[in-house]
Amino acid sequence: MNEKNSIVEIWVYLSGSPLLALFITLAAFQVGLFVYQKSKQSPLANPVAIAVILVATFIQVIDMPYATYFEGAQFIHFLLGSATVSLAIPIYRGLDSLKKRSFPLFVSLLAGGGASILSAVGIATLLGADKTIIGAMYSKSVTAPIAMGIAERIGASPTLTAIFAVATGVLGAILAPFVLNALGMKAWWQRGFPIGVAAHGLGTSRAFSINHEAGAYASLAMGMHGIVGAIAIPVLFHFFNS
Amino acid sequence: MILGLVQILFFQSLGELVSKFVFPSLPGPVIGLVLLLIWLVVNKNISESLAFVADGFSKYLGILFVPAAVGVVLFLPQLKANAVPIVGALVVSVVLTIASSALVLKLLTKKTDTHE
Repeated sequence: MNEKNSIVEIWVYLSGSPLLALFITLAAFQVGLFVYQKSKQSPLANPVAIAVILVATFIQVIDMPYATYFEGAQFIHFLLGSATVSLAIPIYRGLDSLKKRSFPLFVSLLAGGGASILSAVGIATLLGADKTIIGAMYSKSVTAPIAMGIAERIGASPTLTAIFAVATGVLGAILAPFVLNALGMKAWWQRGFPIGVAAHGLGTSRAFSINHEAGAYASLAMGMHGIVGAIAIPVLFHFFNS
Repeated sequence: MILGLVQILFFQSLGELVSKFVFPSLPGPVIGLVLLLIWLVVNKNISESLAFVADGFSKYLGILFVPAAVGVVLFLPQLKANAVPIVGALVVSVVLTIASSALVLKLLTKKTDTHE
C-alpha cells in the first residue's frame, strides 16, 4: 500500500514537470527511427507517424490531457520556427540549379501548388467534409513547419494541417515513382522537383535516397513551395472564402 | 554550433518583428528564412557552424511536429466522421500535384535539357 502510494507520488510529480512529455516524445521518435531503419527506410514506416501513434496511445492510456502533454512538449514544438529559418541553407545551396532553369521550375511550382489546393479543397468539399477539415487542406503540400504557420494565419487548425501534411508526405513518397513512370519522366531533376512540390520533406528524403540530383531538386522545390505558399495561400484562402 | 544557433535565432527574431509590424499575414519564421537567404546570397558563404545546425534540423525535422500532431487525439471523432473525404482528397490531390508539376516541366524544357 505504502509502496503504491509512493509510485503514484512519483507519477504525479513527473507528469507535472516537462520531463515526462519530453521523454515520451523523444523515446517514441527513437522507436520510429529504429523501425524505419529496420524496414530499409520504407515510406510506410514513417518515424513521425509511428511516434505520433505511440505518444497519442500512451497519453490516452495514462489519461493525461493533451494540454498537459503539450505544456511539456512545447519545448520541442518551439524549435519548429528555428527549423523553418534554417531551411534557408538548402534553398541557398539549390540557387544555382534554380538560376539555370528558373522559368520551367517556377511555372511547375505554381501548377503543382495550384493543383494541390484546388483538388484537395474541391474533393473534400464535394464529398461533404466539415469546414475545419477543408481549412486544414489548404497548406498540406507545404512543408509542415511552414504549413502550420500558414494555418494559424488563415484560422485553420495547425494540428489537422500537420497531420494532413505528414499524410501527404507519406502518400507522395509512396506514389511518386508510379506517377512519374506513367508520365515517362526520365531526367532526374524532372523527377525530383515534382516530388518536392507535392510531398515536401518526406518526399525529399525519399528522392535523396534514390538519386542525389533528384533530392537536390526536391529540396529546392520544397523550399520554394514554402516561401511562395506562405505568401499565396492566405490570399487564395480569402478569395475562396469571401 | 553556437554561432549557427545565434544566427538562426537572430534571423528568427528579426522575422517575428517584421511579421508583427510590417507583414502580419506572413508567419515570422518564413520572413526570417527569406532574410537569412538574402544574407547568405550577399555574403556568398555559409559558415561551418550554420551548416552544422541547419543539417541537424533538416535531418530530424520530423520530431519537431510530433507535439502538434499528437493533438490528433482531440480530433479523432471528427477524423472518423470525415474519413472518406479526407482519404479521397489526400490521395487524389497528391497524384494530381505530382502529375501537373511534372507535365509542366516536360512541356517547358527543350529535349536537349532532359539528359543530365
